[in-house]
Amino acid sequence: MHTLFYIWRNLKRNKLRSTLTILSVGFSLALMTVLNGYMAMQGVWGKEAEKKHRIVVMNSQGFSGMLPISYVDRIRGTEGIKAATPYAWYGGNYKEEQMPFAQFGCDPKAAFDVWDEFSIAPQQLAEFQKTRNGCVVDRRLADKRGWKIGERIPLQGTFYRFNLDLVLCGMFDAPQSTDSLWFNWLYLDEGMREMNTPGTGNAGTIFARVSQAESMASVSQRIDERFASSDNPTRTQTEAAFAQMFTDMLGNVQAYIRNIGLAVVFSLSLVAANAMAMSMRERTTEIAVLKAIGFSRRRVLVTILGEACSITLLGGLLGIFIGCVCLELLHTLSSQIMLLSVFEMFGPWLVYLLATAAGIGLVSGIVPAVRAAQLSVIDGLRRVV
Amino acid sequence: MSEAHLENGEPVVVVHDVCKEFHRDAITIPVLSGINLELKRGDYLALMGPSGSGKSTLLNLVAGLDRPTSGTVTVCGQRLESTSESKLARWRSRHIGFIFQLYNLIPVLTAFENVELPLTLTSLSRRERREHVEAALQVVGLSDRSHHYPRQLSGGQEQRVSIARAIATDPTLIVADEPTGDLDAKSAGEILDLMERLNREFHKTIIMVTHDPDAAARAKQIVHLQKGVLVEKTHAGQE
Repeated sequence: MHTLFYIWRNLKRNKLRSTLTILSVGFSLALMTVLNGYMAMQGVWGKEAEKKHRIVVMNSQGFSGMLPISYVDRIRGTEGIKAATPYAWYGGNYKEEQMPFAQFGCDPKAAFDVWDEFSIAPQQLAEFQKTRNGCVVDRRLADKRGWKIGERIPLQGTFYRFNLDLVLCGMFDAPQSTDSLWFNWLYLDEGMREMNTPGTGNAGTIFARVSQAESMASVSQRIDERFASSDNPTRTQTEAAFAQMFTDMLGNVQAYIRNIGLAVVFSLSLVAANAMAMSMRERTTEIAVLKAIGFSRRRVLVTILGEACSITLLGGLLGIFIGCVCLELLHTLSSQIMLLSVFEMFGPWLVYLLATAAGIGLVSGIVPAVRAAQLSVIDGLRRVV
Repeated sequence: MSEAHLENGEPVVVVHDVCKEFHRDAITIPVLSGINLELKRGDYLALMGPSGSGKSTLLNLVAGLDRPTSGTVTVCGQRLESTSESKLARWRSRHIGFIFQLYNLIPVLTAFENVELPLTLTSLSRRERREHVEAALQVVGLSDRSHHYPRQLSGGQEQRVSIARAIATDPTLIVADEPTGDLDAKSAGEILDLMERLNREFHKTIIMVTHDPDAAARAKQIVHLQKGVLVEKTHAGQE
């Protein structure tokens, strides 16, 4: 206990240097927390999706390919499918904001059967189903923007040329924030047809709920086989695999992030090692005194290493806290970028970051600690006893 | 080695035919040669001599901070030249109290905590440690400054805290390197009074290195070293 007390006092010895070292570790760890948090979010999203018996159908060429709306009914007719809806990403601007939240064209009569974990008041759902330009939004999004039922929500198309003039019919509650707005796919398609623009009749993607988890693979296979010889062959996958696809899209970016992280850790170790070495040089006599009065090599080693690790752990805790605040802020501002709250994805990745901070401490402290432990008392005292 | 051993009148320090050489590259520098010295419990020895005469080296050997090239050093019954580093560290914490010229207090610890530092190496409880520290600070007359940091104390007070640290573990032997070398005359006098009291009242065996003949005169014996050889041994009042 006394060693910890002594370490704590030493941390306060040169407050400026300790603070700067803690901050340098803290800010770098904050960056790593955000990057690792984002990757962890993709993983958690995928795992959450695994629990739902949903599959996603898209053109085998990817998002750019056509997925005829007629496929929705044909998929509904496939054995093992409970419900299906088109799910077309609109990507419009709201007032002066560019794509501030996710917007999807869906089938109001089927969407809440596909996402049956979402809940909405029956009268609001009925209103949504009967209003062509009606829309429903995630309650958290409505609360954030202060929208009330009956609110007009104009969206300017970016990908689609048709602008939407939506009326808020209801708010749904989802287990996790989705930051999304659903409108009637038909309203978009009719508008496109009126403007005589290409791309009509495109479902975008089709989300479907499967009756039994075990049959997801076989149902997916049946769907793909059914459309294999058509003009628009499909690629059907589980929602978890769909989520993983976005992670995979990052591809080498993940490797880059990891490598950048390693580079940051390496440079931080050097910074912290330099600070520790400076601190030890200034305290050579003091260490010699400690050894003279009976401190063993091991005790000196533990004390110095403890000091180095305490500094980097404090920096790590600060960094992880700042990083988590940034992630939460990102989630609050835009759930389409950061799908999950930090509170929903606490996990080993945070322990990994903390271990990284401790590792930086060990690496930065090992050389000064060993040198201090091996210091000759007589040399250290300069003026010998 | 037990304290009973010392009670039987056995010497606290026995330096027998000690030689010490330092090696700098291929050059061998003899520092001490043929040193023989014996101190009993309650002795107070002043080591004098010009710079480079080997007095600090001798002190280091007796304090278990260095090993002789040849000969034996036995302190409190422990043969130091053959004892491992880790055992020596433990041994020093029990038997040796150090007083340095520049006090060498830990600046981030208060006077109380500095005095407590060597006690943290013992198995004493927190309460026992506090009692020891309070007693040591009382002996040096700094009970009212126990919560002051070294920077808040004068040089003389810092040295008194240093002495309190040296006696906190109730060591058999106190080694002091120029304890008054960095102090004004008044403070130096107070420190020497204190050391004399430690010797007289608490029967502490003390070895003090000093350049100051007045300081040396306060010791019971004075040993002169010249070029690594003991040249003269006088008793107080004989100089």
